[in-house]
This record gives sequence, structure tokens and C-alpha cells, in this order.
Amino acid sequence: MEDHENVIEVLGKIPWFQALSPEHLQKMTEMAHLRQVKAGEILFREGGKEDYVYIVIEGRVGLDIFIPHRGKVRIYTAEPLDVFGWSSVTPSSHQRTAGAAAVIDGVVVGIDSAKLRDTCEADHDFGYIVMRRLLNIVSSRLLVSRLQLIDMFESPEA
Amino acid sequence: MTISNVPVQTTTLQSGILLDPQWAEVTAITPEAEGISTYWLRFVNPAEQHAFRFEPGQVNMLYLPGFGESAISISSDPQDHEKLGHTIRFVGNVTRAVSRLKVGDVVGLRGPFGTHWPMQEIEGKDVFIACGGIGLPPLRPAIYHIVRNREKYGKVTLLYGARTSSDLMFPHEYDEWRKAQIDVEITVDRGDTNWNGRVGVVPMWFYHFRIDPRKTAVLTCGPEIMIRFVIFEAMARRVPEESIYVSLERNMKCGQGSCGHCQIGPYFICREGPVFRFDDLQSFFNIEEF
Amino acid sequence: MLNETLPEVGSTITIQKPVFDLILSRLKEAGYLTIGPRVKNETLVYETIEILEDLPRGYTTEQKPGRFRLFQDRHSRYFDTIPGAHSWKQFLFPPRAELFALRKNGHGWETTTGQPDTAKYAFIGVRACELASIQIQDGIFMREDFTDPIYHARRGRVFTISVDCTHPAETCFCVSMNTGPQVKQGFDLNITELDNLFVLAIGSELARRLLAGIPFENASGYVLTNVEQKLVNAKQQMRRKLDTADLPQLMLDNLDHPYWNEIGKRCLSCTNCTLVCPTCFCWDVVDEMSLDGKSTRRERVWDSCFNPGYSYQAGGNTRPTIYSRYRQWLSHKLGTWKQQFGTFGCTGCGRCITWCPAEIDLTEEIATLRKEVSQ
Repeated sequence: MEDHENVIEVLGKIPWFQALSPEHLQKMTEMAHLRQVKAGEILFREGGKEDYVYIVIEGRVGLDIFIPHRGKVRIYTAEPLDVFGWSSVTPSSHQRTAGAAAVIDGVVVGIDSAKLRDTCEADHDFGYIVMRRLLNIVSSRLLVSRLQLIDMFESPEA
Repeated sequence: MTISNVPVQTTTLQSGILLDPQWAEVTAITPEAEGISTYWLRFVNPAEQHAFRFEPGQVNMLYLPGFGESAISISSDPQDHEKLGHTIRFVGNVTRAVSRLKVGDVVGLRGPFGTHWPMQEIEGKDVFIACGGIGLPPLRPAIYHIVRNREKYGKVTLLYGARTSSDLMFPHEYDEWRKAQIDVEITVDRGDTNWNGRVGVVPMWFYHFRIDPRKTAVLTCGPEIMIRFVIFEAMARRVPEESIYVSLERNMKCGQGSCGHCQIGPYFICREGPVFRFDDLQSFFNIEEF
Repeated sequence: MLNETLPEVGSTITIQKPVFDLILSRLKEAGYLTIGPRVKNETLVYETIEILEDLPRGYTTEQKPGRFRLFQDRHSRYFDTIPGAHSWKQFLFPPRAELFALRKNGHGWETTTGQPDTAKYAFIGVRACELASIQIQDGIFMREDFTDPIYHARRGRVFTISVDCTHPAETCFCVSMNTGPQVKQGFDLNITELDNLFVLAIGSELARRLLAGIPFENASGYVLTNVEQKLVNAKQQMRRKLDTADLPQLMLDNLDHPYWNEIGKRCLSCTNCTLVCPTCFCWDVVDEMSLDGKSTRRERVWDSCFNPGYSYQAGGNTRPTIYSRYRQWLSHKLGTWKQQFGTFGCTGCGRCITWCPAEIDLTEEIATLRKEVSQ
């Protein structure tokens, strides 16, 4: 599934990769692969091992948590250019906190998390750009979670 | 403070003044979602029905004798002169009494009150409608207007969200609107097994749309907390305050700018609202408990 | 010298005090309900007066934050009392008024028309601040976009006998609000009380004709100087001040200042201030249904922004905490009112200070807010 020229092309179109120098972009490409997914296809399971961080290129990926007695609850959907599975890049987490499955047919880019972590360690300039980007993603995701938590559309008690 | 030796006059307001209701009959009831239905009303007096005109965003006061009045946004097509749609959520005394109405019942109606969506002022611009929950009904007349006058507007997007997929309002109309070249994007706060669409809150989807701040008007309505974040996102994309329009809700009683209840800062929502241009509202918005 | 001709509008005359009874009886003959201050239950009220002696002759009020005392003083003037809790707004904007009544008629409802309003008042003893308040309410209840028919009808029939204040109370600050102590316009007759005479300024044709045959003298230069002097003294006596130079901006720019919470801790949200305030105009609608469900009526009643239910709407209360309600009141009265109606909502009558059980004085609160903000 790896096709380097194709991957570079795709990555180059993603806005935040455009901030990378050609050298850094090359490094990223070496850790990345394109993957086509079919509706319903599972990318990773809750509790699974950390392996890739993903970017949606086409389609939609749903993030689900399984709650005993309630079943699978979809907490978020990643749309084109959304990053998901980012917790695998952070040093502290050890397993997936949610599962990811394609909602409709699509294409994703997967980046090897272990290699990404190592490269960030070895090249701090590269690491800074990656971490800064991840921080933005995490903070906006946190805001979404907060708004979901306060239940904006809660029906008022009369 | 009753005065003992000054005779207490039981005085009545002369009729014809706006506080007197006109009468309208319930012609149909459309259940929309849990606890929300649209009541279709037609004035009992046909002359009154044919004379009644309203602009998208305006409000009527529904009167149930003995129970009281409730301010309800008109959610139907302004060009439909046969009937008026009022989408009502059953939360208070009056609206719960409304939920017991049947087709054929007669209610009091007065209006329309307040300001409206600036459909003329935003001609030629891209229109970005961001709303949620019960915020879609007051915008529906504006959408109908756009559909009818599509060539007068640029790129039109409707971003609408609700708590869950069963709370979405007017789902059967989305495809009609898409056919009229409106980009309809739906999201829910919580997914469920029936839902293959977006899961996530309305404000955060802004970054998916390319908005040209120089020529986009943003119209928003919904819970005030949602409005707050929609405005935040719109301004983060450099949409100027003068291009953001908000519909607010406060306890409306007289509808005349007289009883004082609906005030927010210097504005009477029944008179200078419910639709505001955000730059006028900015200094009074988002102040805790104001 | 008795003068047989009528005084001109705009002129000033003097009458002996007992002659005032003639004016009162003329008004009553003309169908007016003559209302003026009276002593009742050790306080001042506005009720019908028949003769001059019904007025609180010899009384003085002592007013401080949270304190009102009416006591017999050593003078014998009739109009020396600074008003108590009552104001004239209860007559033009009655605390309860029926808006309409309906009776069930088959499937629908029909309106049962009530009695037309015929109240015709002569207000006796209206202070400058009170007249200014009435004029402020004129601009609220009689507007291009909405006119309250009750207010409109009654206001058109009011005969105003105003009075200059020569001995203001401690809580007065009309000088700061530019509304007194002298009454300059808007009256039919204006009284300045000297120890032995009433000095009357003729303000309208109606007043002029009312004085037909009443013994009067043209006010002499000496009298006019005396009046001048009393007014100057009254101004000087007024210690309480409110600096309005930076209003309304001071409040509108600092709506989220923590000082509001400080006031909120003391305010009881008892609504006294709004009840006694002559410009407060908020009202509520009450719908009543008969037990058999066949008739209903809608009533308008006074309301207050301090009432917890005032800002309630399905979905919760937008001002659940007292501090936000106090802020609403003050930032409206001396803030947003200006944008709404072109003037401040306050005329410096001091009633809210006198009748606040928590002794909150808005002149002090604004001065403190100003200090807190500048720090």
C-alpha cells in the first residue's frame, strides 16, 4: 500500500504539512502510508496497541467508545483533514481510549507513531513543529468535548 | 399601596390597541421532535389572514385565555398567506397548555413583533447560517426566502446541529434545500446507531468551511452558549462584527417596549430585537447574568 | 389692593393662604379629585384633600438612608414636607389595571368592554423632582410607537399645582440631576410658600381662568427677591451630590466589575426602591380564569426587576443572583435609560435611599464604583 510519490503528493496538500521544510516532509513521508478504507472497516479498537496516527483524506471516520449495557457510543467523527489517533504520539498513553471505524468509504494517511516519536526525539526542530500542531488539535478537541459535556441543547426544566 | 379614600377605578384599555389579541384557529399540528411541534394557525377573520405579513425572524404572541401568552418565532414561509407556522417547545405553563390544543381550537394571536433577519442587506454576500436545536425554526423563513431568491445570494451554507439525530428539526426538508444550491451540513452532539453523519458540536465545524470574511454574513440562532462559540469561531475567521447577526430570546410579555421584561442593556428584544447585528450587541453580550 | 382682572399666564401673584381653599373648591366643582399630601399612620400619603388644613401643616420630614420620620416642627407652613413613599405615578400608571376581559362564546371568546376611565386628578403639591419624573414617564407611556391609553387619558386631564422646595431633605439630590429645587415649567400653578403668603406662578390658561374673582396681588419685587433667596438657600442646603459627568459610560464600561458583587451582598432584593421610585415603569401581566373556565381577564400590575421571577423564562432565570438584579436596576436607571429615552431615569428625589432597608445609597455606590474602577 505504500506508494511514496503518491504519499508525498497527498501530504503536501495538507495545510499543516506545508509548514515543514522539504527535508522534514521527506522524513514524514517515510513514516506514512496511504490506506483506503471501506464503510464499516475498523482502523483500531479500543484498548488496542498504539501504532499509527491518522489523517482523514476522504470520507469520514467515527470514534466510538463501548459502554457496557449501552453499546457503542459515537463521540466524534473525523472529517477530511481531521487528525485522529493522536494519543499514540504522546509519550504517556499506552492503549487506545476509543475505537475508530470508517463510517463511509474513504482514504486515510497513517503515520507510524513509534517512528514519529523517535524522530521528534532525534530532531527537536521537527519535534517542535509536530508537537505544536498536536497541541492545537488537542486543545480544539478539548473545547468540543467541553461543549458536548455541558449539553448545550439540554431541554430546560420548566 | 392602595389608597383608601381615592376611589379605585377599574379601568380598561380601549380596544384596538396592540394588547388586544386577534383570534386564530389551529388548522394542523406537526410533531417535529420530542416535546416540539409546529402549530399551523389561520386567523378566524379571513381579512385579517390575508392582511397579515411578517418578515423572517419576527415573533408572534400566542394567547391561551386564562393561561397567558408566549412569544413564538414564526417558522413558516413568509410568502404563504394561507397559514402561519409556529414551532413550539413545551416547557412552561403556557406552552404546556398549548400542547393540549387540538385542530379546530381557537387561540389569541398578536404580532408580528421585533426585528427580522436582514435579507435585503445581505444580498450579494455569501450566507453562513449556523444554528442548533430549536434555533432552526426562526431561521427557516430566511431559508425559504433564500431558496425563492437564490440568485441574489452567493455561496449559502446551513450548518445545523442538535443533541441527537432524533432531535433534528425538519429533516425532510434538507434535500429540498440542497437542491436549491444550499450546502446543508448536519451534526449531532451525540451519535447513535442510526446516525452515519457528523458527530461534534456546531461551532467546531467552522474550520471545515472556507469562509471569505470580506463577503460573508453569518446568521446564528440557538442556545446562547452555542451562539457565543459560533461568534467566537466566526470572529476567529475574521468575519467582522457588522456581518454577524444573532437572534436572542428573553422573557417577552407586552411586545411593545413598555413592560421592561425583555431588556438586554438598552435594547428591548421585542422592539430592537430579537435579531441583532452583533456590533450593536457586543458590549452587553457575554456578561455574566446581565 | 384687590385686583379684579385676571393675572396673565407667566405672571407671578401672591394670595393670602386661606384663599387657597377657594382654589380647591373651584377645582372640586370642576370635577377634579384634589390629591395632595396628608399625614396618615405617622407617615405621608397622597390622598384626597378637601381643604388647606388637610395638608401636613407644621410637619417636617427627617430622611436618611433607611430612615423616615415625620414630626411636628416649629414652623406652620403647609408645604414643607419632602415627599414620603407615595409618588404621583400611582395615579397615572395605576398599580393594577384591567387590560381586557373575555367571556366564552361557543368555541371562541368575546370581549366584554369595561367602564371607560374618567379619573380626573388635580395634583396639589408636586415637587420639581416629581414633575420631572412625570415628564420622564410621559416619554415612556406616550410615544410614537406605543401609547398607553390609561396614562394618556388621565395625563391629559391632570391639573398640576406644583411647589418649590425651600427646605430639602437630607436624601435629596435634585440639584445634581438638574431637576430642581425650583419648578420651571410644566405646571398649571406653581406655589412658593413664604411664611405669610403663597406666591403663585401662573402656568396655563386653565389656571388663569380658575382664578377668576379670587383676591390676589401682583408679586412685589420684595416678594420675588424673597423667593429667589429661598431657592438659593435650598440649593445650598442640599449636601447630597451625584456626579453625572461620566455617566452612563462609567457603568456601561464596568458591567463586569467585582464591585457589583459587593453591593449585591447587602441588597435584599426587597423591591422597595422600585416601588417608591417615581420613574420605574416595569409591569407584569396576570391572566386570571374563573373557576368554571367561562370567563377570563387580563390585568396589568406593577413589577420590579428585583423580583426573582422578572427575568425568568422557560429555560431558567437569566438573573438568579441578587447582584445582577441590582446591577440591572442601577445600570438601567443611570445608564441605558439615556439611550432608550434620552434622559437619565433618576430625578434625585432620594426616595430609594430613604426607603431602602439595607441603607443602600445610590449616590454613594456610584462614587465608590468610580473609585474602585480607577484603581
